[in-house]
Amino acid sequence: MDVIFEFLFKYRALVFEQGELGFGAPASVRLWLGLAGLLGASAVATYTIARGRSSVADRGIMAALRVALLGVLVFCLMQPTLVLSTVVPQQNFVGVLIDDSRSMELENRDGTARSAFVAEAFTPGESPLIEQLSERFVLRFFRFSDGADRIDGLQELTFDGTHTRLGQALDAAREELSSVPLSGLVLVSDGADNDDRPLTEALLPLQAAGVPVFTVGVGEESIEPDIELGRVELPRAVLEGSTLMVDLVVTQNGFGRATVPIVVEDDTRILAEETVELGPDGEPVVARIGFELTQPGSRRVQFRIPPQPGERVDRNNQRNAWVEVRGEREKILYFEGEPRFEVKFMRRAVEDDDNLQLVVLQRTAESKFLRLSVTDSTELEFGFPTSREELYRYRSLVLGSAEASFFTHDQLQMIADFVSERGGSLLLLGGHSSFAEGGWEGTPVEEVMPVVLGAPQGGADGFFAEVKVEPTPAGLAHPAVQLDAEPAGVAARWDSLPPVTVVNPLTEVRPGATTLLEGRFGEGGPNQVILAFQRYGRGKSIALTAQDTWLWQMHADVSLEDQSHESFWKQMLRWLVDGVPDAVQVQADQEQVEPGETVRLVASVHDSTYIEVNDASVRAQVRSPSGIVEELPVEWTVETDGEYAVEFRPAEMGDYEIELRAERDGAPIGVDQTFIHAAPSDDEYFGAARRTDVLRRIAQETGGRFYTPEDVATLPEDITVTGAGVTLVEENDLWDMPVLFLLMLLLMGAEWGYRRVRGLV
Amino acid sequence: MRRPLHAGFASTAAAALILGACGGEAGERRPHIVGVGAELMAQEAPEAVGRPAYGGERGPRLADPSETAGRFPFYWTRAIYSGYGRGWYRRGGSWATDFPKGDRQFLVVLKRLVRLNAYDWENAVSLADPNLRKFPVLYAVEVGGMDMTEEEVEGLRGYLDAGGFLIVDDFWGQRQWDVFEYNLRRVYPDRQIVDIGLDHEIYSAYYDIEEVMQVPAIGRASRPAECWGCYPQVKGMYDDRGRLSVIINFNTDLGDAWEWAESPAYPLPYSTYAYEMGANMIVYAMSH
Repeated sequence: MDVIFEFLFKYRALVFEQGELGFGAPASVRLWLGLAGLLGASAVATYTIARGRSSVADRGIMAALRVALLGVLVFCLMQPTLVLSTVVPQQNFVGVLIDDSRSMELENRDGTARSAFVAEAFTPGESPLIEQLSERFVLRFFRFSDGADRIDGLQELTFDGTHTRLGQALDAAREELSSVPLSGLVLVSDGADNDDRPLTEALLPLQAAGVPVFTVGVGEESIEPDIELGRVELPRAVLEGSTLMVDLVVTQNGFGRATVPIVVEDDTRILAEETVELGPDGEPVVARIGFELTQPGSRRVQFRIPPQPGERVDRNNQRNAWVEVRGEREKILYFEGEPRFEVKFMRRAVEDDDNLQLVVLQRTAESKFLRLSVTDSTELEFGFPTSREELYRYRSLVLGSAEASFFTHDQLQMIADFVSERGGSLLLLGGHSSFAEGGWEGTPVEEVMPVVLGAPQGGADGFFAEVKVEPTPAGLAHPAVQLDAEPAGVAARWDSLPPVTVVNPLTEVRPGATTLLEGRFGEGGPNQVILAFQRYGRGKSIALTAQDTWLWQMHADVSLEDQSHESFWKQMLRWLVDGVPDAVQVQADQEQVEPGETVRLVASVHDSTYIEVNDASVRAQVRSPSGIVEELPVEWTVETDGEYAVEFRPAEMGDYEIELRAERDGAPIGVDQTFIHAAPSDDEYFGAARRTDVLRRIAQETGGRFYTPEDVATLPEDITVTGAGVTLVEENDLWDMPVLFLLMLLLMGAEWGYRRVRGLV
Repeated sequence: MRRPLHAGFASTAAAALILGACGGEAGERRPHIVGVGAELMAQEAPEAVGRPAYGGERGPRLADPSETAGRFPFYWTRAIYSGYGRGWYRRGGSWATDFPKGDRQFLVVLKRLVRLNAYDWENAVSLADPNLRKFPVLYAVEVGGMDMTEEEVEGLRGYLDAGGFLIVDDFWGQRQWDVFEYNLRRVYPDRQIVDIGLDHEIYSAYYDIEEVMQVPAIGRASRPAECWGCYPQVKGMYDDRGRLSVIINFNTDLGDAWEWAESPAYPLPYSTYAYEMGANMIVYAMSH
């Protein structure tokens, strides 16, 4: 197509896109030509009014053809030109950026590696492409993967980089060539970018500097046959014995709807095994898999699909994730406004869970409290906490049937802040003094609730209903309500449980809240929200509106062996404490790095009331796999209150243990630990097919062009007409375009043909 | 239930002086000291609760179509079991001793002492009734006349295994103990019945109780023991995980103290202790 265009119009389409139309004839000539044209046109017009055998329509058509012919002639006589701004040969630079990552070694279907094209097309002295580019420009070569470096020749390429960071590469080349006239950058890559940083950040400076990027995409757009396991997200830390439910995204090409196994294992044993039915080509399917983590410490969990026969890339069949399994005993405060059986049965459900300390404060009379499972005799000795320091010691708060007026306004505000600022979890239970019936409307805590309160319906004849509980679709996928080890059995288990009762009519959740369990009143009408949650500030709030979940344990329809009630409360309370931040926390920006890669440790430091501390003395002790200990000072970032950061480069393979200590005026604030795992990365094998969309976008947004190996031959000329740098204005004649000559012939022929057809010759 | 046989009996005169102001039957103006819940003891079922009084062997109030178990967090539930002996309620067995007055009166006072959102009426349920499992605290009285059927044995075992708590009261002497023990052995042949010492949490769950008293039946204040040489004992049975599931008040009659606390003939210290013990047992049973 491009060849035909160039034959007809003398130049390629890109040249027309870049140029402007002009006319070479002097103004006087153009004036005379205009007048002559007008006279000619009016002479032709008389044609239409002449009498003869022909009809008015015939004369009109023939006149139009003649006028068009005259127009083309006049256009040619006006000496049309295409005014172009072209770069001055050898006055401008072009940066050639070559992807040096591992994915460039992947083979195409014909058995050649992607890197083979680089060698063929970009080796100086051997490649006509480079020869043409060199004639026009001064070339500078770069290689990029994790970073970008200047190279003198392709022999320096190793194709062993662990990442493809396109944005970083563009930044580095732009900065390196910022002091020379730069016509453009040529980016040769498969486009499989795995940088966390948005690409836009690198494109904006290029747009501002007017540097076009010409991208050359290598590799195939689809690798077949292949199965790929998507990224796996695990919580950073969980309590020992927690069951995790993980969604795995599996994509396949070329295998059809086969069923394949997924294996989850840690370093010592297989944790779970599931099968997944693959979706159509290119369409991801989600497989849910649950497993329990029982050993404390830093655990590597590997998710793996065994390589399938004929699979072209098998290194994208497995994912590693790390999770810190905490062996601590987490404290939850359960405040109950009156003696209720929920206290007894909730305590029983979690009594053998060594990782949960359910501290109960139960109001038994107006100002009389029963304290259970307290750490010492002073804990909660004056009733519900009156200071933030006292309340924030707990990771989670459960509020039973207690009216809002029991609390002071400060305590209500403190409960709300417990969630939003401290990042704790709040669980609100149903009861006669809960929600609207307990006067919670208009309090600071109402804002935190995931449910919308209606008009209170308390009193002797207040609202009361028995409801059968069932999980919502979101609930079926949520770990807190998984009563059965098999996902398919969860709904049936819920169905087997007896109804519970509610005294707080709640049928609506707040925008952004998620309902996990619903209660059916019967036919029709809205369902009662039984379990719903929402994120609120740094924490989460949960509403469990049933008042007697103990029926799932006591009811005669529940067999004595049934562990539903125990499982439910264990999972609920573990969910409550999971992810609740400590006063001092440290986290690495990447959990797995290659030795030599930079890791940034970011710590957040708060005091006991969870106010950010900026004047702390923070130090990180880094223990390498071989036991070498290094002390690093961690400095306040200034940008964010309470945020401290430091960078370091692991040198050895293996697990690095980091302990961060924060002090203020010599008094300890807190300690936290994290782990970094130095190991070879497989990132390059995920999403390794050519990302044409990414490369095309880079070209389009910077004013460059996207090429494939098949059409890259025009690259040198294209940079010449579209590039920036030192340019000169060039006028190219258009009057001799073949298309004009052909057009004139066509118009004359058309008139002649028309006459013949109509018998007017 | 013991009828007040000698209301003017000298030994109860002091108590009558104390409780006279709230003793509806005495009707005399006398100086008094207000004890635990004393001002309420004369009350029976509050007027505000105007539900019809349905009756039946398997639980009088559950038969009421306007009432559904579960509306209230707490139902003071009495065990109906097969047996011999007296019983004042519709020719019931010994399970119905003091029923329903004792239950109603206990609830009235209990609700003022403890912040308990309790159903105001008595609630008697058969041990063989699956609905028993909706009421995790159960009161069994005069178990010296107990003779459970197999269904009742099964029902009680299932109830306790599921997490229920049984309070046993008002039986005296070795013969009655043997009868009760025999019945409890049918439920749990291998579990030990042990003494519950004063260091147990149940004595401090609500009130601090420092002494186990022998609570007499009405009319027996001068000689509380109903058997020769018997002394009050609190015993219990723990489940396989070491949790107290049965508390046995032996050689004592808390129920009569609850029922007759308003009577001038009934000594205040006994009713005070009985209510304290009752509150403690319920608060404990609802939280442990």
